[in-house]
Amino acid sequence: METQLALEKWPHEISTVIIGAKNEHGGSRSHSIEIGGQKSLPLLFKEGVIPNKPKIAFEVWDIAPVDWDSELVSAYGKSIKDPFAWVDKCVNDFKAELLCLKMQGAHPDSGDKGAEESAKFVSELLSRTGVPLIIIGCENDVKDNLIMPLISEAAKKERCLIGCAVQDNYKTLAASALADGHTIIAQSPIDINIAKQLNILISDIGLAFERIVMDPTIGSLGYGLEYAYSIMERARLAALSGDKSLASPFICFVGQEAWKAKEAKASANQGIIWEVITASSLIQSGADLLVMRHPKAIEKVNNFIEMLYKG
Amino acid sequence: MQKFQVTFLPDNLTVSVDKDKTILSAAISAGIYINSTCGGDGICGKCRVVVNKGEVTSQPNGIITALDKKANIYLACLTSIQSDLEVIIPESSRLNFDKLTPGELEERLSGLYSKAEDIWTQDEKIGEKVFKHSPFVTKIYLDLPKPTLEDNLSDLERLYRALRRFEAFPVIQTGLFNIRQLGQLLRDYEWKVTVTLGKRNNTVEIVLIEPKDTTGNNFGLSFDIGTTTISGQLINLNSNKILGTKAAYNQQAAFGGDVITRIVHAAKPDGLKHLHNAVSDTMNQIIRELVLEHNVDLNDVNCMVCSGNTTMIHLLLNMDPAHIRREPYVATANFLPVLRAAEADININSRGLLYCVPGVSSYVGGDTTSGVLSSGIYQKDQPCILIDIGTNGEIVLGNKEFLVACAASAGPAFEGSGVTSGMRASSGAIQKISINKGDFNVKYSTIGDKKPCGICGSGYIDLLSEMLDAGIIDKSGKIKAECSRIRQSDSGLEFVICFGNKTESGRDIVINEADIENLKRSKGAIYSAASILVKHLGLDFTCIHKFYIAGGFGTYLDIDKAIKIGLLPDMERSKFVFIGNSSLAGSRQVLLSAQAMSLADKLASKITYFELSVDPAYMEEYSQALFFPHTDLAKFPTVKFNG
Repeated sequence: METQLALEKWPHEISTVIIGAKNEHGGSRSHSIEIGGQKSLPLLFKEGVIPNKPKIAFEVWDIAPVDWDSELVSAYGKSIKDPFAWVDKCVNDFKAELLCLKMQGAHPDSGDKGAEESAKFVSELLSRTGVPLIIIGCENDVKDNLIMPLISEAAKKERCLIGCAVQDNYKTLAASALADGHTIIAQSPIDINIAKQLNILISDIGLAFERIVMDPTIGSLGYGLEYAYSIMERARLAALSGDKSLASPFICFVGQEAWKAKEAKASANQGIIWEVITASSLIQSGADLLVMRHPKAIEKVNNFIEMLYKG
Repeated sequence: MQKFQVTFLPDNLTVSVDKDKTILSAAISAGIYINSTCGGDGICGKCRVVVNKGEVTSQPNGIITALDKKANIYLACLTSIQSDLEVIIPESSRLNFDKLTPGELEERLSGLYSKAEDIWTQDEKIGEKVFKHSPFVTKIYLDLPKPTLEDNLSDLERLYRALRRFEAFPVIQTGLFNIRQLGQLLRDYEWKVTVTLGKRNNTVEIVLIEPKDTTGNNFGLSFDIGTTTISGQLINLNSNKILGTKAAYNQQAAFGGDVITRIVHAAKPDGLKHLHNAVSDTMNQIIRELVLEHNVDLNDVNCMVCSGNTTMIHLLLNMDPAHIRREPYVATANFLPVLRAAEADININSRGLLYCVPGVSSYVGGDTTSGVLSSGIYQKDQPCILIDIGTNGEIVLGNKEFLVACAASAGPAFEGSGVTSGMRASSGAIQKISINKGDFNVKYSTIGDKKPCGICGSGYIDLLSEMLDAGIIDKSGKIKAECSRIRQSDSGLEFVICFGNKTESGRDIVINEADIENLKRSKGAIYSAASILVKHLGLDFTCIHKFYIAGGFGTYLDIDKAIKIGLLPDMERSKFVFIGNSSLAGSRQVLLSAQAMSLADKLASKITYFELSVDPAYMEEYSQALFFPHTDLAKFPTVKFNG
């Protein structure tokens, strides 16, 4: 006798977020990326529609990173010294469909690049590549409030995903995203309530819930992965049950977290394994967008996604 | 009646008193506090005074020695005045209160918050006429038949016989003090005396026997002893008329803002004494101002009823509250017998009675019992809820069949304490605010239409709601707008409600981001406690028939705005009833009716205490409530902001 699956029917769905605007939408991207839109818990294909697979973005910086592990640096070779060459390598050699550009060079400790210089860099990058962009600041609130409005303006109509808005500093970024047609990352410190509050605050500024992607803040394997896992699961359950203010897709900064672990640096290949296991666990807790570093890890996770979604 | 002048030294205060009054009562009339632990029974021997000049009669006692007599030392409570007198009150006979150096006294009395102020309360009449009038202490005038050879009952039995004609008293008790002076008193005043009868649980006590008819002068006090605010009311026990209501900040605030820090302080050397003195000082201050203003002799204030949380009552009675804080959280006493006010160092008539409304548990005290009594939820058919928006934020849910109470530690923000421009709901407090959406101009009205001095609880509720509506703050309480009224301060951005050129003190009246955070935590604690209590009983807010909102909010509370900021649940507005200070009203009912007194006892035993901290959902519910109005917008469907 065939086993009957007990299926849950959810009344609501996760919002669909589009990153990157093609010509017909006023932008210049070669394609756009769609995430979210599912009506079920992760991978339970029988419960509801899951229209989009999780997507992976390659993390690139506007300056050559100084603290990246040698295994990462060697994966990109010389190109990592030059941001444009680095981007080209991701797109041409590793077939990157999405890039996550971090404006680290603007950080007071890493060059302190001005707003105009940063904005100019972004315009040039946009003219060199057609891949949709995620752009995040340098994680210094004061500096981000100076550079992000200009960067946002330089990328006007390209429908980038810009970040990261936090509870104490979301207004400038949200206003820029609203004015220039971008979507926004709302980052909360592994706290479902703050995640929710921040989404409401951002939507109060006028940015619809459909233009918000949540960064729940994750930890890598062995460094709090399970906390992130359960927060994401709880938020997803609430969203599918009808809480609109939590119904945004998740972005997870896997690369930066995995490569922080001392185990990742312990021996060859272990960093890749650390990144892959962190990413694949988070996919099962509902991650829609993964920002990763090592091309091999990205390849493995992409294969994993293909396998899961084969049907 | 013959009057004599009594001068007290070294104070050099003179009062005019009737012949035969005791020196102790003359001193009380003069506003001098003599130590009298036994309350005038002539037992403690603490009220030793030196009679410099003049004639007195003194009852024999075992305390004054022959040597004392040579030095003209008498016990003030047993010595009656027979001529003009000059009396020295030595330092050792004075209450601690006056032992302080002028500097200390200054600090204790006028420190942070000085004098008691008149307060305006919502509806002085709540619960009036519910109970039969039979006050805590009654005065009865007796014109006794003189004894004859045929009618040769003893003096005391004669008195009892006359009393039994008035009411059927089960037991009558009389202090030896009264019996000793009885024989002389009756004969001196031709058998015409006034007897003051007080209720002591199930017995009746003759508190005092005075010459002639003084039945017209019978006053009592009702008190609400809050962690942050103490309110007192002077009441004419014959007419039930409230003569005045005053409030002052509890001077214990100097030792910590909440009951737990107070309990911790009580364990320090002299800590309990400090706390006890602080609360009795505050109450004596209120009493002194009430009697002075209303021309009442302190000797005619014969009784008082206090409602307070369990810790406050322990501190008032100088009982160690240490075990309230330790598992399994047991108080020394929740039900207290009727005591003498003097035993708690409260200065009214030295034999005056003190009753504390019984409490439910260590964290739900007599103030809640009083609230249940005065709100009347104990007799409703449908479940109702009583929310006391005070420092301990007690909440009671129930009807005539069951009553469950919990306490949320809300903090004193809505009592105007711990917030930059906060104040009580007294004269000059801004209680109503509206803000223009375009230019952020502020319109306000103050209590008594005075120049603004600060903002009271209802003002803060209005202010938060208006700031949200005008888009000055976002839903997390951060100031997001820019205008000439917004500027940087030490505690984040601040918004100026009223500039110094229009205020009483000349200082700007402001609210800053730290204040907003404070108020947000307070309202979050109260809302989440109510919500958990309702859930715990398997109900939800829609099942609640009436919401009684209590608190020292003055005359005005905008329910709609209280809902908008998420302090109260989003329910039909007609279900809300604002009842003012329900604890003070309950004290008054108990003071004025024996029926209410016995009901308060029953209610306190009937209310079930629910400990919030054992409910794992509480913290989650609380953090969800730290938002305006709430993180779960679905719980506040009617709340819409324009900003």
